[in-house]
Amino acid sequence: MSLKAKNLSKTYSSGLLREGKCIFREVSFELEPGKTFGLMGPSGEGKSTLGRIIAGLERPTEGAVLFNGNPLSGMKKTEYATFRRRVQMMFQDPTDAFNPRKRIENSISEVLKLLDTPRTERIRRTKEMLKTAGLPEEVLSRYPAQLSGGQLQRLALGRILLLDPEYIVLDEPTSALDVSVQAQILHLLKKVQAEQKIGYLLISHDEAIIRFMSERVGILENGQLDMI
Amino acid sequence: MMQREVYLQKNTRQWKDFIANYLDLDVRKYKRALKKFNRGGLFLFAFFLILALFPSLFAPYSPTERFISYEAPSTVHLLGTNDIGNDILSELIYGARISMMVGFASACISTLIGLMIGLCSGYFRGTLDELLMGFTDVVLTIPKIPLIIILGAFLHPSIWTLILVLGLLSWESIARVVRSKTLQLRESGYVKSARCMGFSSFHIMISDIFPNLIHVLLPKFMLATASAMISETSLSFLGLGDISMKSWGIMLSFAFSRGGFIRDMWWWYIPPGICITLCVMSIALIGFGFEGREKENEKRGVDAE
Repeated sequence: MSLKAKNLSKTYSSGLLREGKCIFREVSFELEPGKTFGLMGPSGEGKSTLGRIIAGLERPTEGAVLFNGNPLSGMKKTEYATFRRRVQMMFQDPTDAFNPRKRIENSISEVLKLLDTPRTERIRRTKEMLKTAGLPEEVLSRYPAQLSGGQLQRLALGRILLLDPEYIVLDEPTSALDVSVQAQILHLLKKVQAEQKIGYLLISHDEAIIRFMSERVGILENGQLDMI
Repeated sequence: MMQREVYLQKNTRQWKDFIANYLDLDVRKYKRALKKFNRGGLFLFAFFLILALFPSLFAPYSPTERFISYEAPSTVHLLGTNDIGNDILSELIYGARISMMVGFASACISTLIGLMIGLCSGYFRGTLDELLMGFTDVVLTIPKIPLIIILGAFLHPSIWTLILVLGLLSWESIARVVRSKTLQLRESGYVKSARCMGFSSFHIMISDIFPNLIHVLLPKFMLATASAMISETSLSFLGLGDISMKSWGIMLSFAFSRGGFIRDMWWWYIPPGICITLCVMSIALIGFGFEGREKENEKRGVDAE
């Protein structure tokens, strides 16, 4: 299954006259399974907005996101449901990734319930997920506030993996973590990618991380995407 | 991180000491006093709640039982009797149930409507938000008491009409607060993740947003109860209440219209007035307590970051 951005433009309109401010225009690229596309650029250039558009959380002003050759807008309900499972997004702040009022166990089992997984299977898959993320079973009974940023980011990735995604948009997944934990998360991401052939769109302003992770790199600057 | 916390603690302590020494004002003392005040509200509220739930345990007579009318307080009738010879203390105790029921029931209705409108408006945004908030603004500009007086004059005066009208006309501030909090929560990582994972909007609103709204909703609910009780009293005093169910407001109205004030029978009109004041104050204090705790939690959250 392929995921393509075709001539994407985004304009935010504000004020009484609805004046538009163009964030980026005519951005096109393709994500490949098992490979990482690194997206760099200065702050405020629309990297995260582009990520959200690719993940289907926001609509572009012009252009289209093509999943299996079909544009997201105008997709049939079943097709969109498949897209929703297959393309996931991981956010910057791990402390904000889980509902603070729910135990981790509930946040995880909710996802498995969404997939109609039977109860015994749910337990097995949760254990398997913890093993992949390298976390002990005790974390399940904790609330998010009782866990560290690194643990939460691992859990966030683990929860996404439960859905068997083919592409993950990683929006600065390590910028809220300290250096040693950053390395752990990046290695975990690499390991998961190698095992499951997941395509990543890695958004970061840290060149070293982009170079370490990506096969192809694009810079979003002055509203244009330049490939390097 | 630890160092920063210690520095912050030291810094706040220094400020508090400075205020205490130079301005003769001990912040900690006032904070303690406020906490005691809230606890007082809780006790007072528990007292009224027990009265409302088990009036027969405390009332010396049935509120409909008749004795000699216009009697002054005595050992037999601690607060005397009214124009038709009912024991005023018993009426007062049984009245707690009616007044509190009107307050809570209409607050439930207004909280429910405010919650639904605020949630939908904040979560879906766009045109729906503009429409719902426009409607809220329209309702906000309606003068409540005159409208209720008109409705009360046209509709059959009953306690249920009163509850419904009060509930249907006092949800706007709750809707606005819920909307603003929902707007904030919908941008949080866990809501965005849930959307990305394909959970339905209904599921996200019920399971992710609503539990995080409770601490905002609870003080609002308490304050809505207090204001509904005051509105009920005003309307009953104006003669729009249900005379078959005697609330404290109706007691005041009867004391006014049936000779309590002229005969200077203070034991007829002062006790319901005090009860209303104390009950509303206790509920408001609990509401303020919740609000205060929420503010403290928010501050702690900022410090923790």
